[in-house]
Amino acid sequence: MIFITGPLYSGKTEYACSLLGCTPEGLEGRAVRDAQELARDCADLEALADELAQSEVVIAAEVGGGVVPVDPRERAGREAAGRLACLLAQRAERVIRVFCGLPQVLK
Amino acid sequence: MFTLVIGGAASGKSEYAEGLILASPHRPRYYIATMEPFGPEGQARIARHRALRRGKGFETVERYTDLAALALPRRGAVLLECLGNLTANELYSPAGAGTLEGAVSAVAGGVEALLPQCADLVVVGNEVCSGGRNYAGDTDSYLRALAEVSRLLAQRADRVCEVVCGIPTWHKGAGV
Repeated sequence: MIFITGPLYSGKTEYACSLLGCTPEGLEGRAVRDAQELARDCADLEALADELAQSEVVIAAEVGGGVVPVDPRERAGREAAGRLACLLAQRAERVIRVFCGLPQVLK
Repeated sequence: MFTLVIGGAASGKSEYAEGLILASPHRPRYYIATMEPFGPEGQARIARHRALRRGKGFETVERYTDLAALALPRRGAVLLECLGNLTANELYSPAGAGTLEGAVSAVAGGVEALLPQCADLVVVGNEVCSGGRNYAGDTDSYLRALAEVSRLLAQRADRVCEVVCGIPTWHKGAGV
């Protein structure tokens, strides 16, 4: 599995497309997008990470910057997103962070 | 040489960007200021940046919107600060483009028009897209516009660095 992360709107999807040689629609079934959203309300992040690791590509936006949200649900969601990203990075063969459309290999 | 310097709030990006201009052999040095001086906090921020630049030989040019129409008197080393302000001005100022698409093309097109007027150009950008998606309407448009401007300019730039705690980490050029 290749894990692609980076800020919002940084070009992660476009990079995944270039990697897999497909259109954004073609990512369906091959890549999981917005994995940070799946972390929210997930009871078992390890199991989720194991399951996601079966995909070719997993994409998650970095959401842990900025101020800690006031809303407890948002706070928990952001926390879970960060933890999931670490678990995905452990399971990935390759980790790439896309910054302003420029990919950087982290692992 | 066109360098894009991006960083979070108070990451040291301005000082680093300024250092790149001071290291350039080209003169004159222009500082293109983009922040409309609203309120005491804005004025204090401007005063702080002015004090940092004092005695370094910068000519300050104020430009809030429509960067493409700016004509510099001479070709020199230019520091443009910053994309976050320019994008906000184009989106929200009465003189600005007013739409997301308009703002993106005004800012990215503005830098494009500036490039041939510069021997060296350093553009300061802002990392604002890693705080989550939990923003509605206006703020999300701002994030989208600024992110698109940043991607377009990163493609165009010779070098791109992200400043973390005053330290540049390179994403393009400089041996990457």
